[in-house]
Amino acid sequence: MTARWSYVIREAFVGLRRNLMMTFAVVLSVTVSLTLLGASLLLSEQVDLATDDWTGRVEVSIYLCDDRVCPAITPEQQEELRQDLEDQEVVAEVFYESKQDAYERFTSMFSDQESLIEAIDRDTLPASFRVRLENPNLFNVIADQFSNYPGVEEIVDQREVLNQFLRFTNVIRTAALVVAGIQLVAAGVLIANTIRVAAFARREQTGIMRLVGASNWYIRLPFVLEGVFAGLIGALVSWGLLWGTVPQVANSLSRDIELMPFIGEAQVIAVGPWLLLAGTGIAAVSSILALRRFLDI
Amino acid sequence: MIKLQNVTKTYKLGADDQVIALDDVSVEVAKGEFVFVVGPSGSGKSTFMKLLTREQLPDDGEIWVAGKNLASLRSWKVPMLRREIGYVFQDFKLLENKTVYENVAFALEVIGRPRREIDKRVPEVLELVGLEGKARSHPHELSGGQQQRVSVARAFVNYPRILLCDEPTGNLDPSTSVGVMKLLDRINRTGATVVMATHDQHIVDSMRRRVIELDDGHVVRDQSRGVYGYGG
Repeated sequence: MTARWSYVIREAFVGLRRNLMMTFAVVLSVTVSLTLLGASLLLSEQVDLATDDWTGRVEVSIYLCDDRVCPAITPEQQEELRQDLEDQEVVAEVFYESKQDAYERFTSMFSDQESLIEAIDRDTLPASFRVRLENPNLFNVIADQFSNYPGVEEIVDQREVLNQFLRFTNVIRTAALVVAGIQLVAAGVLIANTIRVAAFARREQTGIMRLVGASNWYIRLPFVLEGVFAGLIGALVSWGLLWGTVPQVANSLSRDIELMPFIGEAQVIAVGPWLLLAGTGIAAVSSILALRRFLDI
Repeated sequence: MIKLQNVTKTYKLGADDQVIALDDVSVEVAKGEFVFVVGPSGSGKSTFMKLLTREQLPDDGEIWVAGKNLASLRSWKVPMLRREIGYVFQDFKLLENKTVYENVAFALEVIGRPRREIDKRVPEVLELVGLEGKARSHPHELSGGQQQRVSVARAFVNYPRILLCDEPTGNLDPSTSVGVMKLLDRINRTGATVVMATHDQHIVDSMRRRVIELDDGHVVRDQSRGVYGYGG
């Protein structure tokens, strides 16, 4: 058994060495495609993480009149509104955000953009009731019932804001996946071609092997291994690239954007096995397909 | 050991154009026989040899080699068939980047024989072909006759029951050819069945072994202790 494996592995490396330029091209193209694949997987992770965090916090905002658009809400109307909201079964929690609270939240959110803060008066932002629902999908129940209350200016489903963000990230993620897919197919074709060239270069040897009765897997395995090894290297390089960049990018983003949590090293490590699987899998499949026609009995 | 029964093999050239390589050929070769297959180019000799190693399948008829029915032989079992057949080529087909020893060992290595067995058999068979002193040489350092001996050693190192030789003396001068023929004769005397396709009239005439002559896909002569041509 040891003689067998040493033969197979030795032959695979002979092929890789003889064909250095092609090996390099294969590694490069696998690296590019898997880096894209990994990036899009990580983006999905990021979106899931942010979405999970946000859905727990998303609220319905009921903005109150302050004489600018409609007559200011009276204290009695405001108290009645609160009572009616709290009586709703779908409402989990109601709290009041005064003009002052709104201003403070705004300034802390944009603390590094002074011009923006200067443009806003303490009085500009409306007071609101912020309502957390048992089920965020029941927004319409609240909207229908309360939008005609006296003193209510506007009811906003904040999920709409989140949805816009999600739609945006979905487009990016899908685009990255599509490009990664195309790249992966290209890498597969390149691997198939490389293996075919390698098999052609050693056709004398494989011809002799067939005639002395070497089994099929014994003839093919060195070539398949050659492809798989190149795919593995490409996958490792792309994993390394992601590992070296993504946590740092996320880290620097999280310093600027406090609104949501960011992925870290753990997610990058977790994506690694998938990259290895994709890299070696693509390489194995395209090598086997390339050899099927070439080395038939 | 080898049996062809009403074997027909045609090659398609186009949509309705075809060449008949073998036409209803029936031949039987017993264990331990030495057989020449002769005939002009295009007579079907190459097809005959290719059918025996199951590189090709016949269109019609049955072929038995070493107890196996080739038509019903599963493709994954074909390697097992070929381990019972040694094959010697006209152009030797040695690997230039390997030494004589490695070329012969290669045939055992790739069928997964253990190292211990390889190290025992290769020197044995190199001695048989008279090249024990050339084990470390590369093929380009050897004469044509020596290279063909290496090729025979590689074909025989697994002690196959059948040795197929396709024009083994085709690239050799007459005196060298005699040496290779003596070697094949010695291998035949160990009990191996030898089938040799050849053009070489002198060799056939001097050996006086069974001759099967093919012409245009037919067996036109099957003669024990025969010669190359009619009236010879």
